[in-house]
Amino acid sequence: MKRMLSLPYTFVLMNWAAVAGLYYFITGKKDVWSKSNSWHKHKT
Amino acid sequence: MEGVFWFSVLFVFYVYLGYPAVLLIWKRIGARPVQKKYSEPTVSVVIAAHNEKQRIEEKLRNCLSLRYPKDKLQIVVSLDGPTDGSEFLVWKYAAQGIEMVHSRQHTGKAGALNRAMRRATGEIVVFADVRQMFDGDSIRELVANFADESVGAVSGELLLMGKGEQEATTDVGLYWRYEKALRSFESQIHSIAGATGAIYAIRRELYEELPEDTLLDDVLTPLRIVLRGKRTVFDADAKAYDTVACCPLAEYGRKVRTLAGNYQLLKQLPESLAPWRNPIFIQFVSHKVGRLLVPWALTALFVSNLFMLHGVYVLSFSMQVTWYLFAGAGYLMSKREIAVPALIPGESKRAA
Repeated sequence: MKRMLSLPYTFVLMNWAAVAGLYYFITGKKDVWSKSNSWHKHKT
Repeated sequence: MEGVFWFSVLFVFYVYLGYPAVLLIWKRIGARPVQKKYSEPTVSVVIAAHNEKQRIEEKLRNCLSLRYPKDKLQIVVSLDGPTDGSEFLVWKYAAQGIEMVHSRQHTGKAGALNRAMRRATGEIVVFADVRQMFDGDSIRELVANFADESVGAVSGELLLMGKGEQEATTDVGLYWRYEKALRSFESQIHSIAGATGAIYAIRRELYEELPEDTLLDDVLTPLRIVLRGKRTVFDADAKAYDTVACCPLAEYGRKVRTLAGNYQLLKQLPESLAPWRNPIFIQFVSHKVGRLLVPWALTALFVSNLFMLHGVYVLSFSMQVTWYLFAGAGYLMSKREIAVPALIPGESKRAA
């Protein structure tokens, strides 16, 4: 069930990222550094 | 409307399924294997960083433990206006041969790379990020590809690890594996359309200064090399490791930046869209440009279907609505999963 929901979610989100990417490119809202990935779980 | 509908269907299917199928057939009839040969030219490892106090020492220790002759390995850390004291940590490693280029100004990664490249002396330059760790033999594997004169750049393989020591099989992990399969196919035919920022190498003589606002140095530099007539290949034996994003939303920010960078790339290198200039025109358009256009094709697919609610089109519309409802439910489920670990002591510390 989880995979059934997360697959379309991932697909839609990744495609929405292309639209957001265009918006960021046009408006010049660009981070000069990729953010440190605080969302990632790091190995302890 | 029917034409718009079917064109959109074909386009989306081509980008995600048709193009990989084309590559599969193409590599069977026209593969150009790289002639790898192990040797030990001088190598500069370049690490650009901003505020990386938490992780920089682990990365430096990782670089110092690489299995490559120490007298042929230069490690350059380019700090871009750090405010967290990263420079003091890097300084501690000066006695072990780590060189630091410290800029008080915060100009961005591209600027940091340009400054590091003025210090780099190796025949081959390996670019690395702080977060990902290199496998001990990764430099040796990357360098072996340059024995083939046609090769100008090499991308290593970034493994996103899940729980335990296995490569992740979450959706983000699977998406990344799909991407790597495409790169592998593209590499066997000619070149990949972009390297992995965490681990890629170039011949130093081929480096051109990056514009300071560059978002994707790992795509711009390899593509410039391809446009100059050399190959940019992918070598899965040169490995770097990272942990997989906890959820699609975590990957989203990185993806937005990457895709904004792809738009910027079209502006920086318009010749990449000229088939007579770009030897990997089909790969570039199908892989990079195609991904930028898929959301618009999906929108056209949905809207055109709205105007044709009869016969088989009722079924296609129902399928689309179901797909987006599932995506919405997936979003809600993902939000709930992010909230839960914060309530568990220890788990929240790890996520921070």
